Amino acid sequence: MLSSLLAAQDELGYLPYEAVDEVSLCTGSSVNEVWAVASFYPNFRFTPPARHSVEICWGPTCHVLGAQPILQGLVSHLGLEGEGDTEDGSISLKYNTCLGVCPHAPAMSFDHELAGRMSLDEAVSRVERIRAADSAGEQQA
Amino acid sequence: MADEITITIDGQEVTTTPGTMVVQAANDAGIYIPYLCYHPGMKPYGACRMCVVEIEGQRGTPASCTLPVRDGMVVNTKGGDAVQVRNTTLDLLLSEHPHGCLTCHRIDLCGPQDICLRHVDVVDRCVTCPKNERCELKDTTRFHTQELVSPLTYQYRNLQVETKDPFYDRDYNLCIVCARCTRACDELRGDVAIGMTERAGQVLVGTVMGDSLLESGCEFCGACIDVCPVGALTETAYKWERPARVEQSVCAECPVGCTMTYEVNHWERVVRAVPELNAPSNMGQACFKGKFGFEYVNDKRRIRKPLVRRDGELQEASWDEAIAAAAEGLAQHRGPAFALMANPRNTNEELYAAQKFARAAMGSNAVDVASNDRPGIVEGLQDTFGYFAGTMTTWELADSAAVMVVSANLTEEQNVVGVPIKRAVRAGTQQLIVIDSREVELTRYASLWLRPYPGTDSVLLGGMLRCIVDNGLADMEFVNERAEGWDELVACLEPFTLDAVAAETGVNAASIEQAARIYAEAASAALLFGGDSSIGGTRRTLSRMVAALAVATGNVGRHGAGVMPLYQGANAQGAFDMGAWAASLPGHNLLDDASAREAFGKLWGVPIPDERNPGNRSIFTRARDGSIKAMVMLGDHVHYEDGTLGDVMGGLDALEFLVATSAFPSAITERAHVVFPAEVWAEKTGTYTNIERRVQPLRKVAKNKRVDSRSDLDVLCALAAAMGAQGFSWDGPAQVLDEIARVVPEYAGISWERLMRERLDIVTTPSDEPQPTQVMYTGNVLTGLKWPCASEDGELFVDRFRHGKARLQPVAWHPRPEVDPQFPLMLAHGRVLLELGRKPNVTVVGKRNRVEREERFVLNPVDAAAAKLGEGDPASVTTADGAERRGVVALLDAVPAGVVSLTTLFGELAVEVDASDRPDPMNHIARLNAAPARITPV
Repeated sequence: MLSSLLAAQDELGYLPYEAVDEVSLCTGSSVNEVWAVASFYPNFRFTPPARHSVEICWGPTCHVLGAQPILQGLVSHLGLEGEGDTEDGSISLKYNTCLGVCPHAPAMSFDHELAGRMSLDEAVSRVERIRAADSAGEQQA
Repeated sequence: MADEITITIDGQEVTTTPGTMVVQAANDAGIYIPYLCYHPGMKPYGACRMCVVEIEGQRGTPASCTLPVRDGMVVNTKGGDAVQVRNTTLDLLLSEHPHGCLTCHRIDLCGPQDICLRHVDVVDRCVTCPKNERCELKDTTRFHTQELVSPLTYQYRNLQVETKDPFYDRDYNLCIVCARCTRACDELRGDVAIGMTERAGQVLVGTVMGDSLLESGCEFCGACIDVCPVGALTETAYKWERPARVEQSVCAECPVGCTMTYEVNHWERVVRAVPELNAPSNMGQACFKGKFGFEYVNDKRRIRKPLVRRDGELQEASWDEAIAAAAEGLAQHRGPAFALMANPRNTNEELYAAQKFARAAMGSNAVDVASNDRPGIVEGLQDTFGYFAGTMTTWELADSAAVMVVSANLTEEQNVVGVPIKRAVRAGTQQLIVIDSREVELTRYASLWLRPYPGTDSVLLGGMLRCIVDNGLADMEFVNERAEGWDELVACLEPFTLDAVAAETGVNAASIEQAARIYAEAASAALLFGGDSSIGGTRRTLSRMVAALAVATGNVGRHGAGVMPLYQGANAQGAFDMGAWAASLPGHNLLDDASAREAFGKLWGVPIPDERNPGNRSIFTRARDGSIKAMVMLGDHVHYEDGTLGDVMGGLDALEFLVATSAFPSAITERAHVVFPAEVWAEKTGTYTNIERRVQPLRKVAKNKRVDSRSDLDVLCALAAAMGAQGFSWDGPAQVLDEIARVVPEYAGISWERLMRERLDIVTTPSDEPQPTQVMYTGNVLTGLKWPCASEDGELFVDRFRHGKARLQPVAWHPRPEVDPQFPLMLAHGRVLLELGRKPNVTVVGKRNRVEREERFVLNPVDAAAAKLGEGDPASVTTADGAERRGVVALLDAVPAGVVSLTTLFGELAVEVDASDRPDPMNHIARLNAAPARITPV
């Protein structure tokens, strides 16, 4: 069941009701059983994600080397209250318990590309670059 | 017993069996260990940690609900460590559960409407909780004399109370996440309509994406409410009512005969129904009808006084006047011009009196019960086994290796029979074959679902039987020893070749053979059938086929094997036993048998008339053509209005004299000349016989004080006395039962005193200790008696049939009925809990949820092409009765040609019943019969 849910989320970026229903059909379980599993894991999301993902590591090493100020700064810069999607739908901000690059702490990932030794200014400027590219892309489309 | 072991609990030696959990062993011995998540009958879960104990020689404090007993184990339930763990656990539970009143010394003085001087929020108070004084958490806290800190420090979840679904209110602010409800839905019912959501601190009970219960697959059986320890799950009706007393009786909604405990409040109102945990008929389960369908007992609209028609108008009268008027009217119509229609909610005693009244007092054989619209499904069983009855019990179905259900919507009509089947299928110990042209709830659980053309069930079973014979799958040892007529039966099977059967039924030959193999090769196989899609005379053939299949494979008289006819009506079996129907006199003696008529004539001192009993449908035909002029109608029934019995009201209009007993004004009472206010089932004493042939005592639960009602038994006896008839001077139902036990051989040995003695003695912990409601109410379960119960040579069906050997009957090939060219298709209308792959819309209308869903007509591509329809096209289906439905077309090869398949969601029915303003909506749920129809593009 878990692998089916992961496959569906990889494909769609999130789990709509139809995906839960489909997984319940394949596994012969009730939709509510599938939901019990899916809702347990914070990695599953049930609404469409924003167009770009920004992850910030709050593992112990990054925390010690200053992840918190970046995290809080970025949250307020994006007008969020925590993890979540920006109002314009361009960026999904997620906290990550470890990105696996502790030697480069504090670490972040921008659209799944890792970046190390981050500062708040650097993070904000990268986010703004993504946003600018995103709105240019939007206009072209 | 060799495998008994002894353990010591708090210094007391307790004998128990291996595999028992310590908490249950203690409870069975009357020693209380607190628990909140454990519930007898469900698997241990170990969530609440309240049942921790200390074990000598073992470290720590294990939870006793997950700890199996070990020989010589020494348990200490009151050790200091265990008590400390429990207190901490309670603290934690209360840190998220509103408990304002628990810290207050005034609590016993407060009522829900009192103004709280401590300024505690309404949601914080125990006295405003629907489960106040019925709350296991509160009881447990008090039991532990927990010291609570004041002021309050707990977190309120601030969740919306879910009140928009029918029957249930769900307030998850009060939930302690014991998971009893989700486990009941999963383990006990096999539905999984609710589950645990989220994790850690946020974990709660819920449905997929917070959906309404209408679309999550809920069957509204109430099992989750019955096990909820706190106020999170409650019945919407009488939510805040507390019982003044409780009474055990039997449910009157269907022939399963669930034993229920009814809670009655100070105003003599029935406020709640709790299924009895250990009753052999239902094992703690119920259904939406039994759990929520009793409100009519308390209804204000009940007829309060006898009514007599004077100058064309019904006017109130005294009982004496009404009896005199009725007796005078009936006296003018003695003989075959009189008919009596009884009701499946009548007790055995009333049914016996009713048929005796018709035959002995009125001289007419025309007597029947309203629910008996398909007598054929028991006639074939009588032909073969000797009795108009099934051979099985409900709960042995859990142990059947294979179950075959033929044309029956049993999860709706005999709900609890479906519970052991669903459990066994989900446990993987049972193969389920469903033979039904409709999609019903059980098809989702079936390993094989055959969809024959409506009305060809008997042909399909014949094909299976021939397949069993041809492939040498028959149990010839059993057949030779226990049955006669085998060669004649086999000769009749000549036309039932696989190819011919496949062509006639529209089911492919390979599937028929597969079904035959599953049924014949299973270690034990049960056959349940309702004959829903069959017509008229083919049902007798169907039931003969059923009996023949069971005999041919040796599947009768063994545990988990047998046949069960799924008739409607709580006491339909009683009507067969009492002879209150077309085919027989009391005791399964055929009415056609002159010697039986003579014997009863002698018994009753009046000759029994020779005329045949026309049966219920023809009674109304005869009323319309004037050959029946006077009738007594006992009670109301859905079949009087849904067309099953033809034009009933037309028949009543043509009568010269009609006497009705009824609880409510109805189309029948409008036409009556004398109306008696009838007692309903909860006000009566007597017996019901259920689908297992179990005679169960019905006890007076409450009495609606507004009405001056009497039981149908009293009315019939008073009428007989007024008309000078002999043999009706019984002093109460117990004496009628004594007479029944004398004249009905199957009931020999049954008496009211004995029924009151037949109990399961279940030890429970003292009632001042906190317990789940169902555990609190169990302890003195009246089990009833399965007939025959007098000592005889050999057990019925196990060692012998009524006439020694089973008499296999010849069977005929019934071709498809001719099709009306106007309506070339058959509409197979099924009902399911949820439709996989399609989600309905649920909208809120007023304060209630409603299902909005586009109808989907599933057709064979051949029929769709003929009607010039393609996948997704809008279409209209019109049935012969003129009803029209609109929807879209879906194509499916599995639907046989000539059938249009349609499902409604169970949620739609639940909403309809919940919103109905009828006093007794459960009595008016029509069956889902196949109907001729046509489909046209829109």
